[in-house]
Amino acid sequence: MADLASLQSGPLRDLPYRVAWRARGVHAGAHRGTSSGAGGLFRDLATLLEAPDPRRLDLRASLRDPFEQLYVRRFERSTAITIYALIDVSASMGFVGNMRKLEVAAAICAALSFSARRIGDRFGVIGCDREIVPELHLPAARARAGAVVAALRTFRPTRRGAGGLVDAAAQIAGRRKLVLLISDFQIAADELAAVFEALAAHDTVPIQLIDSAEAASLPRFGLLPLADLETGRRRLVVLRPSLHAAWQRERAEHEALLASLAARYARPPFRIVDRLDWDRLAAHLMEARG
Amino acid sequence: MALALSTPAVLWLAPLALLPLIVRLHAPQPYPSLAWLGGDPLSTALEVGLRLAGALAILALLLGIGGLHLAGQTTRQIGNGAHIVLVIDRSSSMDDSFAGSRPTAEQASKSAEARRFLRSFVSNGEHDMFGVAIFSTAPLQALPLTSHREAVLAAVDAIDRPGLSETDIARGIAMALSMHDDDPSAASRAIVLVSDGAGVIDRRVQEKLRAAFRKRPINLYWVFLRTANTRGIFEPPGAGERDVPQVAPERHLHRFFESLKIPYRAFEAERPDSIGDAVAEIARLERHPIAYVERTPAKNLSRLAYAIAALALALLVAARLAEVRITAERVP
Repeated sequence: MADLASLQSGPLRDLPYRVAWRARGVHAGAHRGTSSGAGGLFRDLATLLEAPDPRRLDLRASLRDPFEQLYVRRFERSTAITIYALIDVSASMGFVGNMRKLEVAAAICAALSFSARRIGDRFGVIGCDREIVPELHLPAARARAGAVVAALRTFRPTRRGAGGLVDAAAQIAGRRKLVLLISDFQIAADELAAVFEALAAHDTVPIQLIDSAEAASLPRFGLLPLADLETGRRRLVVLRPSLHAAWQRERAEHEALLASLAARYARPPFRIVDRLDWDRLAAHLMEARG
Repeated sequence: MALALSTPAVLWLAPLALLPLIVRLHAPQPYPSLAWLGGDPLSTALEVGLRLAGALAILALLLGIGGLHLAGQTTRQIGNGAHIVLVIDRSSSMDDSFAGSRPTAEQASKSAEARRFLRSFVSNGEHDMFGVAIFSTAPLQALPLTSHREAVLAAVDAIDRPGLSETDIARGIAMALSMHDDDPSAASRAIVLVSDGAGVIDRRVQEKLRAAFRKRPINLYWVFLRTANTRGIFEPPGAGERDVPQVAPERHLHRFFESLKIPYRAFEAERPDSIGDAVAEIARLERHPIAYVERTPAKNLSRLAYAIAALALALLVAARLAEVRITAERVP
């Protein structure tokens, strides 16, 4: 049971994250950047001719130089990055078993928005089904994402497809960004590959929402009338161990595909099964990889 | 097989049977993606099967309500037997016993004895068809050729009613022949003549009979119930008696029958038991392949229809009971 308290993202809920790459950009922030400037981490020494900033003159290094050149310390400017949460809001995300997937996604967005704002990063949300959903589109800004998070909470997913994720990737093209790809990843293999390819330029963290009611906790035997949320197709399923095994195989194959795509284009996927463990998610986001 | 409905109007409701094919049978539960499912033949088969069961249940109920039945029919079958016309003497002498006196407790009348044995003869002839003609002065068609056993037995039962008047065998035989003429089938035919006397047959009548017998092969059996102290049919006339029909009509009738060149046998019964022997012998001889028509009565199939409907409904109920929900602690 997902305790609702864990999803409450008051101002106290902080979701730390870290990137292993140097951010480009001119806005001051909390991440290591490529541009050098006055403050932050020491980067290197340069001759005064290269970096004409006599305020950072390093006397000790200058005296040590037998050629008597003057050296200036250069510092990494800490830079702000842009974070995007790309949220799959196709119909399959509307499944309510042991959790509400969109509720979890909204909670993550709220926490990220709070954290990003605190350290000066820009945060944006794009909700997509087969195209970008306008009311779930928050371009990156240093504003609070409260409105869009609320919209996400009340959103009723109905449409199918994941084409919007590719469109969203095009929208956020440009400088490298941290992208949280939140989905149940019940996406056809070719579409999934297209999404990952489109996001290859960014630091993508796939966050997979898994509801155990979908598979793990189904009864062993019985008749299960199902309606596909995405296609609306109705099927009567005769549950039995052999079918469970077949499903398991299919799922494992899909997971393997997701893992291989993630290995190629993104960070390893983070699985959220039934309830969101904030500490694990934070650890995962902090465990940056180049 | 002719199926029929007592109330065909219920067929107007038959399109209802399409309902299970159209409407959904279960309240489906939302599921993220059925793409995993691929084609599961068992599930598909069950889904189709349940829909068909629903359709079948409705159809069967309608047929049950409509009174489905198997219409009565006749089937041709081959058995052993023959078409036999019993020609029975109803002259008043048949009411006497074999001793020639009034019947007593010990000695039943000849007609009663004949009735007893003819009954068993009729009852045993499983596939035979019987006709009954009775004659005294004038012949009377009691029953045309039929396979209705009860009717034949009733006709045979009637022969011990008090008889009347004289014996005119020729017209009885002629009637039997005409009864055979009415029957177009190719069965083996026989005439069983039961009489206790004979009369003189006119020569012209003899010729007519001869011609009639020539038209078609008919086996002729004569069971002669010989009263005590009368002439037998095989006995030559005694010395000094003229061998003419007027003196020994039985003997001359026998000779006339023999001259017909048809399969003919005469049985002389002087005791009741001999009638049984004769009749048994006739039954043994008259066993030829015969095509007979068997009637099957209309059969009510409503119960079957209801049973099928119940089965189909039971299947549906079982499916409903076997239904499971996605077990989840629902998020409020």
